[in-house]
Amino acid sequence: MATNPSRPNFCGRTRREFLWQAGGGFTGVALSALLGQDGFLARQSVAADGVTEWRNPLAAKPPHFAPKAKNVIFLYMYGGPSHIDTFDRKPKMTGMDNKTVSVKTFGRGGHRNQGRIVEPRWKFKQYGECGKWVSDLFPHLATCVDDIAFVHSMTADSPIHGSAMLMMNSGKILSGSPCMGSWINYGLGTVNENLPGFVVMLDPRGGPISGAKNWSSGYMPATYQATVMRSSGTPILDLAPSGGLTRPMQRRLLDALRDYNEEHLASRGDNHDLAARIASYELAYKMQSAAPEAVDLSQETAQTKALYGLDDPTAGPFARQCLLARRLVERGVRFVQLYSGGNHNDANWDAHGDLKANHDLHAAETDQPIAGLLKDLKDRGMLDETLIVWGGEFGRQPTAEYAKGTGRDHNAYGFTMWLAGGGIKGGVSYGKTDELGAAAVENRLHVRNLHATILQQMGLDPNALSYFHNGLDQKLVGVEGADPIHEIIA
Amino acid sequence: MQAPRTLLLTTIGLLLGALSGLADERAAEEGAAAPGSAQQRAFYNEQVLPILEQHCFKCHGGRASKGGLRLTSQENIRRGGDTGPAVSHDDPADSLLLRAINYEDYEMPPSGKLPAAQIAILARWVRSRLAGAPRQATDPEPDEEHGPPPVNETTRQFWSFQPVERPAVPTPQREAWVRNPIDAFIVKRLETNHLSPAPPADKTALLRRATYDLTGLPPTPAEVAAFLADDSPAAFERVVDRLLESPHYGERWARHWLDLVRYAETNSYERDGAKPFVWRYRDYVIRSFNEDKPYDQFVREQLAGDELPEATSDAIIATGYYRLGIWQDEPVDPVQEVFEDIDDLVRTTGEVFLGLTVGCARCHDHKLDPVPQRDYYRLAAFFRNVRRYGVRGADSVAASSLVEIGTPEQRQRHAEQVARYEAELQSANGRIEPIEARVEADLKGVENDEWKHAKRRPEFVKKRIGSLITQQEFDDYAKSLEHRAELRRNKPPGLEQALCVKEHGRTSPPTHVLVRGNAHAQGEEVAPGFPSVLSPPAPDIRRPAEGIGSTGRRRALAEWIASAENPLTARVMVNRLWHYHFGRGLVRSTSDLGFQGTPPTHPELLDWLASELVAGEWKIKRMHKLMMLSNTYQMSSQANAAALEKDPLNQLFWRFDMRRLSAEEIRDSLLAVNGSLSLDRMFGPSFYPIMPPEVLAGQSRPGAGWGKSSAEERARRSIYIHVKRSLAVPMIASFDGPESDASCPVRFNTTQPTQALGMLNSRFVMEQAAVFADYLQQQAGDDLTAQITVALRRVTQREPTQEEIRRGVTLVQTMQKAHDVSAPQALQYFCLTALNLNEFVYLD
Repeated sequence: MATNPSRPNFCGRTRREFLWQAGGGFTGVALSALLGQDGFLARQSVAADGVTEWRNPLAAKPPHFAPKAKNVIFLYMYGGPSHIDTFDRKPKMTGMDNKTVSVKTFGRGGHRNQGRIVEPRWKFKQYGECGKWVSDLFPHLATCVDDIAFVHSMTADSPIHGSAMLMMNSGKILSGSPCMGSWINYGLGTVNENLPGFVVMLDPRGGPISGAKNWSSGYMPATYQATVMRSSGTPILDLAPSGGLTRPMQRRLLDALRDYNEEHLASRGDNHDLAARIASYELAYKMQSAAPEAVDLSQETAQTKALYGLDDPTAGPFARQCLLARRLVERGVRFVQLYSGGNHNDANWDAHGDLKANHDLHAAETDQPIAGLLKDLKDRGMLDETLIVWGGEFGRQPTAEYAKGTGRDHNAYGFTMWLAGGGIKGGVSYGKTDELGAAAVENRLHVRNLHATILQQMGLDPNALSYFHNGLDQKLVGVEGADPIHEIIA
Repeated sequence: MQAPRTLLLTTIGLLLGALSGLADERAAEEGAAAPGSAQQRAFYNEQVLPILEQHCFKCHGGRASKGGLRLTSQENIRRGGDTGPAVSHDDPADSLLLRAINYEDYEMPPSGKLPAAQIAILARWVRSRLAGAPRQATDPEPDEEHGPPPVNETTRQFWSFQPVERPAVPTPQREAWVRNPIDAFIVKRLETNHLSPAPPADKTALLRRATYDLTGLPPTPAEVAAFLADDSPAAFERVVDRLLESPHYGERWARHWLDLVRYAETNSYERDGAKPFVWRYRDYVIRSFNEDKPYDQFVREQLAGDELPEATSDAIIATGYYRLGIWQDEPVDPVQEVFEDIDDLVRTTGEVFLGLTVGCARCHDHKLDPVPQRDYYRLAAFFRNVRRYGVRGADSVAASSLVEIGTPEQRQRHAEQVARYEAELQSANGRIEPIEARVEADLKGVENDEWKHAKRRPEFVKKRIGSLITQQEFDDYAKSLEHRAELRRNKPPGLEQALCVKEHGRTSPPTHVLVRGNAHAQGEEVAPGFPSVLSPPAPDIRRPAEGIGSTGRRRALAEWIASAENPLTARVMVNRLWHYHFGRGLVRSTSDLGFQGTPPTHPELLDWLASELVAGEWKIKRMHKLMMLSNTYQMSSQANAAALEKDPLNQLFWRFDMRRLSAEEIRDSLLAVNGSLSLDRMFGPSFYPIMPPEVLAGQSRPGAGWGKSSAEERARRSIYIHVKRSLAVPMIASFDGPESDASCPVRFNTTQPTQALGMLNSRFVMEQAAVFADYLQQQAGDDLTAQITVALRRVTQREPTQEEIRRGVTLVQTMQKAHDVSAPQALQYFCLTALNLNEFVYLD
């Protein structure tokens, strides 16, 4: 990572010229403070063949300052888990079930000024040295509270799934901006070029609404978008040869291809893109073995598998993804996002109908896997360098959505997210919602503060990491900027 | 840029209503003005200031002045921020500051309401007219250098804001090299810099360059042969003329325009629904290029086709321009969303037609260009009356954005088409149904259940050949089924409708400057107007003819943009043409000719071309020809060490830059070289390529909104691929297809392993390799050397060398011997290799 800023090397060009050429003419030239660091642009590595000069746009780049975390695993609880039924205990609601109260709410049902209380359906107990109250939904996770920082005063700009998800993933409620994983890969590159730097794994029941917009690189090049990885079968699109081509045959094909391409290159040696393309085939070849190896769980012990609950019929699928997430970060993947919940209605945490059935199901699917992940990372000494983020696009209202039943509508006025590892304090709770959990009232935070915290822990200055687009230095935290949540940073 | 949606949380806002019950105290403290007594100063310093320092100064103190507000002195507080005084001079109890800290309207500090005791202290201080606080600010003033550039005589002088004046053509020493004035401008600069132009490209490279450039397709073997055989000096001109006459020219150049206008066929967001008839706009653009429509007319039609005196169907379709963007059908804040839509129009129109990034002035004066916020809203006023694409639960998309088009004759023809279709369908059914009736009577067991699936019927019919029906009857039946399927696939296009712009009526609601872009914080009212730094005329807004339900504002905007006097329009367009021909613009930032754009490398040439475009009545084909017949265009891409040393980026055009094919060109070429590209099927609704299930799995309802197209449809050119915002076709996306949520003036050009994986392993490319192998078999029989030769010729459009042929032959033979694969399969793998050649996707 050592660089020598006194000797900029852009092959004799000015930095701006180099940028133009490197991007082949960017729509938005990457002129961030980050790229301003001379070392990055001069960085060159050698391709898999050991000869060809190869500038992978994802090559590792130095952070702004020493990072606390090297990787992020974002456990995305799609649909919006209810904070007051999980980690944000509201004892004053006890005995209030079905009482109509005055409370301002805003969800898919619009703005309301009063509603019928739905008392939380689960008992809370205290856990750990910190004495954190956790509901019976998460018996396994409850044993990890001393490693977790709960943030109870989150707010978001939208209580509507589509725009709220875009906000949680890209910082904007408008379509078209890069997602967090794209920003991190743009800022830091990847330390393992044989694997993608930003991986998304989806719920077997389907993707989230707006699909790929949730892992898009927006106005940045496609290089920075997520690769969707499957937890079974061929992990990545087009990873395995089709049409009966075996790996040895493919090697032969690639050798011939290389001969042709090198001959073509011989009289065009000044065009680095040609050499880069030659190298990219070798990298692709290596990915074909690296990616299947990364998702091969046969190397894991029975004990590890049991820790995650891999054999449990309910928790199995998410357990597998959590274990894969650990294997991926172990191999240098910067940003892994796992979706709990997919598709529509009760296939995710969007409990509009039967709150109990919905949350019982999704908690049972994720509780042991997530606890297993935290414990496994801790046992391996990886938790310090891996930032875990848990939460959905918003929380849920204290009141019922309909005249009958226990379903709760969306709530962006106040909800809970939690973070663990990666330099985050354990056993703390920060911020408060009101007595009903209807809105954040103390130390209120915005999604941007969460994003700022994640970037900060990764060694990136959230208010400096920018990308020039549409006449503006765009940032994940918006043009106005945002502070990290210092109170939960160790 | 977009307006922050958290204005409530982050800025001090409007003063609405008043606090009651404080009037008495106010009266008591009347006249207690600062700096006040020692007691008041102590109160301020000991009780007020610590609260301000802890909770407020981070955003409203020192250099920080969020929302323009600083709380550091009486003067600053009274002056207030963007939304007015924070403390009222006449009525301090009724002050914005107090409302904000009481969370009554704005909510300050945003991190949480202050404890009651602290609020009481601040309230007491405010009611005392800020007694004890310093009267004057001692804070550092904002750095003038970094303030927004004002509109003044100096900024108006900026090169691109000045009228275009046709420069004299220079006279370089290398007169012989000058084929047209473009060359004179180029070579003169090269001479000044002691550089020489590269030698001419060889003929095959030139033909390949020109053919891809104008049509996005490789030249055919016959075209190569004809050009090589034509030794006349006009040979290349004939090629250019031929290509400009090709209908595929429009398909290639329309794609450039579609990038700019963020063309997509769905709305994004949760539903990402399809835009009805949007493809007519795409066809309009293709036809406009093919017809060589003057650019000024092209501009007028898109911005105000409906308000033109002759609002032809084409002109109405052109206004689909307004409907191409993203559409939030479930907005969090419906009032704000109206201005999100208008912002999309202001931004896109500013960038595409004027090369100005005006969008940045939405929330505050543009920080880098002399575009005051007021100018943004004056521009927005032209679109203020435009109806939203649709309003869920109120105005349907059909009511807001669709119109029936077509002349009475066209309607008549449509009725005839429908009648003919129905008749043919009936006739096919007449042949199918009797057979099926006979078989249905004969069904046994589970067949009875299965029969309801029309797809299964043929197998039950087939089973009864020889028993119930004859072979001949079955063959006729099968043919009729095929015919019926074909008919159904090609239903006559629906009643002629178009996606278009509509306004709310002949009078626009007022337009206000919106404080920090917040639709709920209206400032000064403004009238429509053009950016003041361009020293423009006043807009000439005329009421459109009776019966047209709009204001005429868009027409006024269109006429100004499309006028010869507009300093930017022609410059922006010729620069784009240059960019698409030469790989980069004379101004590289082709949608930003403002202060932060890159300066032109050849300003005089740019102006000469701009004046030439206008002089040639805005015709585009003429400009293509001018550029392509220059020696500048026809140079080789070969480097020479000395020039590379001096000008590694080729800023001065000492050679022609190599380029990689675009995503669409790559896909079209795969189909073209193996003979399967369906060039005849132009226009009409888009088709759906086969989407890998892995990609569909990312949707919340896998497969939703992605149809099935026939193999013939799937062999169409890439410009006809359905553009679904949330579901990109992997090959198009990985080769840097445009992200269509915003205008894309310059595509990325990335090299990444995902591209290699797709080109090597995807089912699509592997299938094309198989088709290619079959094609070689047809062309060259079983002779392996001939097969390889034809393959390389097709892929590179030149004669392969002996060594290249030998290498291919060896690969095929080794595959057969060492891996025991059949000859056709080995040939297929060679084809796959050929389709992965750098030379296939890079042009010299």
